[in-house]
Amino acid sequence: MHLAVSFNIASAAGQAAELDFSRIAAFVRKAEAAGLDMVVISDSAAGGQQASSPFEATTLLAALATVTERIGLVAGASTLAHQPYNLARRFASLDIISHGRTGWNATIIQDPREAANFSRPEGISNDDFRRRAEEFIGIVQGLWKGWDTDALLFDKVGGRFHDPEKMHLLDHKGEFFSVRGPLNIARSPQDTPVLVVSGLVETGLDFAARMADVILIEERASQDAKAACNDLKRRALANGRSPDAVKVLLTIAVGPELAADRLEAWFGPEGCDGFNLVLPAEPSALEDFVDRVLPELRRRGLPRPDYTGTTLRARLGLGGGNRP
Amino acid sequence: MTVRKRQMKLGLFLWATGHHIAAWRHPKAHVTAGIDIDHYIRLAHTAEAAKLDMIFCEDAAGLREANVGIASQTSRSIGFEPISLLAAIAVQTERIGLVSTASTSYNEPFGLARTFASLDQLSGGRAGWNLVTSANHIEAANFGSTGLRPHADRYERAREFAAVVARLWGGAEALNHDGQSFSIKDPLDLPRSPQGAPVMVQAGASEDGKDLAARTADVVFSAAQTFEEAKAFYTDLKGRLATYGREPGDVKIMPGVAPVVAETESEAREKYEELQELIPDDVGVALLSSYLSISDLWRYPIDGPLPELPPSEGMKSRQALVIEQSRRDNLSIRQLARHFAGARGHWRVVGTPAQIADELQARFEGGAADGFNVMPSWFPGELDAFATLVVPELQRRGLFRKDYEGRTLREQLGLKRPV
Repeated sequence: MHLAVSFNIASAAGQAAELDFSRIAAFVRKAEAAGLDMVVISDSAAGGQQASSPFEATTLLAALATVTERIGLVAGASTLAHQPYNLARRFASLDIISHGRTGWNATIIQDPREAANFSRPEGISNDDFRRRAEEFIGIVQGLWKGWDTDALLFDKVGGRFHDPEKMHLLDHKGEFFSVRGPLNIARSPQDTPVLVVSGLVETGLDFAARMADVILIEERASQDAKAACNDLKRRALANGRSPDAVKVLLTIAVGPELAADRLEAWFGPEGCDGFNLVLPAEPSALEDFVDRVLPELRRRGLPRPDYTGTTLRARLGLGGGNRP
Repeated sequence: MTVRKRQMKLGLFLWATGHHIAAWRHPKAHVTAGIDIDHYIRLAHTAEAAKLDMIFCEDAAGLREANVGIASQTSRSIGFEPISLLAAIAVQTERIGLVSTASTSYNEPFGLARTFASLDQLSGGRAGWNLVTSANHIEAANFGSTGLRPHADRYERAREFAAVVARLWGGAEALNHDGQSFSIKDPLDLPRSPQGAPVMVQAGASEDGKDLAARTADVVFSAAQTFEEAKAFYTDLKGRLATYGREPGDVKIMPGVAPVVAETESEAREKYEELQELIPDDVGVALLSSYLSISDLWRYPIDGPLPELPPSEGMKSRQALVIEQSRRDNLSIRQLARHFAGARGHWRVVGTPAQIADELQARFEGGAADGFNVMPSWFPGELDAFATLVVPELQRRGLFRKDYEGRTLREQLGLKRPV
């Protein structure tokens, strides 16, 4: 069972003053000590009157990478708020900074308030947003592979820093973007940072099953959740991928009523691969989960008790690079 | 009452394995810098221990060199993305300023303002933004294939960009910006900066660039080889401030300096020559060719003189300078190539700590600089040498403070806090 904790800093309305970096770091280290696979830092560039979080997610991720050692770090970043080249660079750099523990949470449905802050007062249709996001994600993944793993030679005496044959242009020309590449960042430790896709819509299911490493699906009844997981796994297979190559995590809000029984019902050979636990940005909420629910799940042998791999890909049992 | 002596500001300009084109080939250079975060955290700690005001990262959203063969003989095609790099450094340091370059051509103001505001929060008010408009075709091809915008258009966009970012950082309650290039509805959703707003940095040397700097910059980086050039730039830029209702002290002008320092002058010269020897001939010749705007320099014998070039009509002053120097000093193509490849258009000072301090003092006291952006030729060695040899000499002379004085970068630099 894979466990992610979604640290919803954007929901911490009115708490910005108290939510400083050391408090967030303590929270994430606690999740790390408990053996959770990854923390998902949500982000919103929708603006607003009230400060809800003091940090933007990718900068926070970079800082957290320096004070943690094993836990995966996933940041949300909007495809409307960034250019694909810039975003690919940011995450490739984060993957190097974190020694292969970085993921990007891309969403396929738009925050309707965002366009107005990014010079699109007329907005963008949901269908355009989805097609644009899909093209965007494809470019980012392509840019991440622009340098071969053995491209860097560091040959001081011979005067060869890298092998020019092992650096590749992307030369993407699509409906929304045209990007030449390559990135000016080396191949990252995981080859490609883990792609976490959320906000699925019916028309985007095939895309997610084809491209994503992790898919977050919304909370629903256990039978529906199983059906949704199976559907995504089938689509992955139909796209030539092993069903294990994509991990489906069910998002659930953690409250006082959450019991290990409930989690177990969702999980299993016919169910999802694990859970994305949405916690309020308060250490007490995580403490409660770690002290109460996790020991019970462990007693039943569900989550692995310890970290087995050092990169996020290795932890999640995904293929790809593993060069921390 | 004692009048406090004016003191210089010092920045550390980080770049790849070092500022010298052959830095990475130096036997002690940290050749894996571009994939080693711990190396950068160590450099930041060295700079902070030396009480430097800030770390400065330049940036380009693309490769530096179009010729892949030449590029593969330098270390500049890979490195960290600077905002993530500085965010990591932010929580591993306490006092030093953190300035990153970001382009107004390939970002949107809301996203950029938000990212720097976050870096500012993470660092407790030590962030700065170096505004560039990006004049490079390699970058342009990564952001649509329409090509580079004309100079004037880029600056018009940059002016609007800078103005709206200032409003976002300033905590405007209702933004509703609807301009030529951008429209933004909401205010920023992050708390107000601990220093009022991140520090604004610029380096443009064109008329448009100097004007934008006079209007919006807190710090200006410049490149000047000679004292006269540095003084002319300084006087020019400070003279433009009144137009925008600003005082001379509101902008700190910090030219780049590439020091090579050792206990003795001959040792320093040896160190410099050692690096010069490491410049691959074709890299040097390629750089020299681009200076001279000719493409077939490689056809000529490398140990021979510069060939007769087409009439100098339309040639820029720097090209004329190269030709003049080659004739005057009777330099071969190889010697000339090394000379220019090594210096990178910046001011290089080779000598003892006292000699370097003399040079810096002359410009600082002669109305040509408020401080310097230090460009070590290779890392970590030349940074260590500057920190342990030159900084104490400057402190002895009372030209540089012995400890940090402010909490935020603005306080450190003696800048006004924006309302």
